Amino acid sequence: MTAAVTAPARPGLPHAAAAPLTFARLVRIELRRNAVPWVVPVMAALLWFDSYRPSTAVPAFWMLRTFWNMGQGHTIIDTGPLVAGVAAWMGSRDARRGMADLAAAAARPRWTAQLATWAATAAWAVGAYLALTGALFAVYAAQGLRGTPPWWWLATGAVAVAAFSAAGFAVGALFPSRFAAPLAAFGAFLAMGTSSQAGFSATSGWALLLPTNANGNYQVPTGIDYHYLPDLPIARLMFLGGIAVAAVGLLGLRERAGGQRLRAAAAAVTLAGVAATATAVGLATTARQAADGIVIPALHDAASDRPLSYTPSCQRAGDVPVCLNPVFGSLLAGVTAGLRPALAAVAGLPGAPARVTEVAGTYTANEGSSGQAMTISGRPPVLRLPLDAETLPGSFGQTPAEFAGQLQVLFLEAFTGTSSGSGSPAQHAVLAALLQQAGQPFGAQPALLAMAGPGAPGPGPGGAAGPVYAAARRLAALPAATRHAWLAGHLAALRSGAITLGQLP
Amino acid sequence: MTAAGLDSSPRKVSAAGGSAPAAMRLTRLYAASRRIPVALGLLAAVGALLAVALDQHWAIAGGPAAQRVIPLSAEACAAAVIAVSCHGPFGEAERATGRWLPWLQLAAAVALTAAAFGVLAAAGPAGLLPGGAWAVLRNVAGMSGLGLLCASGLGGPFGWVGPAAYLVISEAGLAAGWSTPWLWAGRPPHDLGGAVCAGVACAAGLAAITLTGARGPSRSAGPG
Repeated sequence: MTAAVTAPARPGLPHAAAAPLTFARLVRIELRRNAVPWVVPVMAALLWFDSYRPSTAVPAFWMLRTFWNMGQGHTIIDTGPLVAGVAAWMGSRDARRGMADLAAAAARPRWTAQLATWAATAAWAVGAYLALTGALFAVYAAQGLRGTPPWWWLATGAVAVAAFSAAGFAVGALFPSRFAAPLAAFGAFLAMGTSSQAGFSATSGWALLLPTNANGNYQVPTGIDYHYLPDLPIARLMFLGGIAVAAVGLLGLRERAGGQRLRAAAAAVTLAGVAATATAVGLATTARQAADGIVIPALHDAASDRPLSYTPSCQRAGDVPVCLNPVFGSLLAGVTAGLRPALAAVAGLPGAPARVTEVAGTYTANEGSSGQAMTISGRPPVLRLPLDAETLPGSFGQTPAEFAGQLQVLFLEAFTGTSSGSGSPAQHAVLAALLQQAGQPFGAQPALLAMAGPGAPGPGPGGAAGPVYAAARRLAALPAATRHAWLAGHLAALRSGAITLGQLP
Repeated sequence: MTAAGLDSSPRKVSAAGGSAPAAMRLTRLYAASRRIPVALGLLAAVGALLAVALDQHWAIAGGPAAQRVIPLSAEACAAAVIAVSCHGPFGEAERATGRWLPWLQLAAAVALTAAAFGVLAAAGPAGLLPGGAWAVLRNVAGMSGLGLLCASGLGGPFGWVGPAAYLVISEAGLAAGWSTPWLWAGRPPHDLGGAVCAGVACAAGLAAITLTGARGPSRSAGPG
């Protein structure tokens, strides 16, 4: 009993140094007593089921595999509501246990103690999110995904989880009850559901800030031909971080939260959070759609617009070199084989490409469109193929044969001048005849044209019938030399729309 | 602190053990300890919210999974409220002394599930509620069962995790076009497979909560 008395007292720490140390100790205790680890296995199971499993149905490119779980924010949907619920449970702890008065009379201000509890909750939640999504990315990396990972979206998800933890904690602290946790969780889920409603449909304005919104900001060219534009993720970080800060600051405004100066500081923190959120909303309203994503002028760095440089990988389709970004190296053989019969069908004709080169696709305002048109230009003519804006083999069950058919349609549309989405009946008849020559039977063409993309009107609805297909069959039945000679003499007029269906041989 | 009155209480309770007033008092105290009046109020609020959503045609754009988000969320939220209302504040002492406790737990869970079904089925007129009353009964019963299982395994305060996780899984399954009866929310209202699976989940949950009860929050170990 006396030994403790004789022990020398340790010198005390200066007050300024003691405060953070005490806070750190509080956080350490709260980390040990936190409830988030209990739901981490559920979060892991949901991430596997809802975020990873559906992503394996698309080709092995970072942007495609992560479209569902990062672009549309399913990693946040899978974790955010659980985090909000558990944070509400932690926030309501003192009041549930009838310790609110006791805690208010403790040496540390109430708000400081609550900050420690929230910090530990957020640390567990964000740590679990980063660990689980890190494992997800590690699995993807082991699968040899091409392109670059969406690090900005990962950071946005982490801050979103922190925002859910802060909002849930505030709900629990302000309305302490055993029902605070489920109400916070289901409120968060409903918020995510309704934000999906705005996020899936809104292509501009403040709704771009919603982490479920992939419109115009998460499409395949990024990570392959373009850098990830950080503009929108930075605005989202401000928006979500502002929500988190405002929710935490709100707790310090209550009378029993601490002294007058502390409550003034809490008011400043709350205002800072609200200001950050409002600024992000203001920035989002200035956003515009660019070829490589969403640009917010105040946050934009023009250097981000520079396309990624690469040394192309090439193969030959007959005499024509086909060159792609090496990221698409696994598709090079398929692209070459798919284009070979179509290139052979037009070989020697005016405007026939002397080279095929892959170019970056263009972002669209929605969630990305496949079947973007190819173009032929230059002297000698070069076929420019936006491969990252086409439906790749493996996407939604597309077979290599369907992929080859899609390439042939898009190339021959560019060649005949129908790729604008319109085209005369004569152009469509020539397109059909050339497709048949490239190995696509007339009967299969309507389905192929419908699949190839939005800019591909079929020669006639309801099957390969009607005057367009009658003319196409007539043209295809000609001897190859006769057909070649007619096309060589009339292609310029055909492309300009000056040839009628009746003028076809 | 005195021992006054301690000698008479056991005798009074024992004598009145089988009487209606004592049973009423026991039921009332049990309901108060589980915050059942608040739970009933919340179920009514969830039902009112669903009624407004159906009446105003709130909808999430997208396929069948998106269109069911709001009704399914309401059903899962009701199941979560039922699950978190089943743990008591007295822990081991209550389990050791209350011989009626299992029956009270069973009766409370059944009554709250019935109340949830009632308010949610009344929320939407025929045609507006996806699947109608039968689907609501199946979904609420099944998800309540999951919540009760979760309350029994993870602890009463975390009983809501089961319905919340099932909601996410249901939405993902519906989006993927799965038709397994374990995703009963995606099955037609009179589908036998879905009803059986939901019934099994409900029966398992009720059995678990009756036999083992919901673990309450511990003050010496565990979270929160």
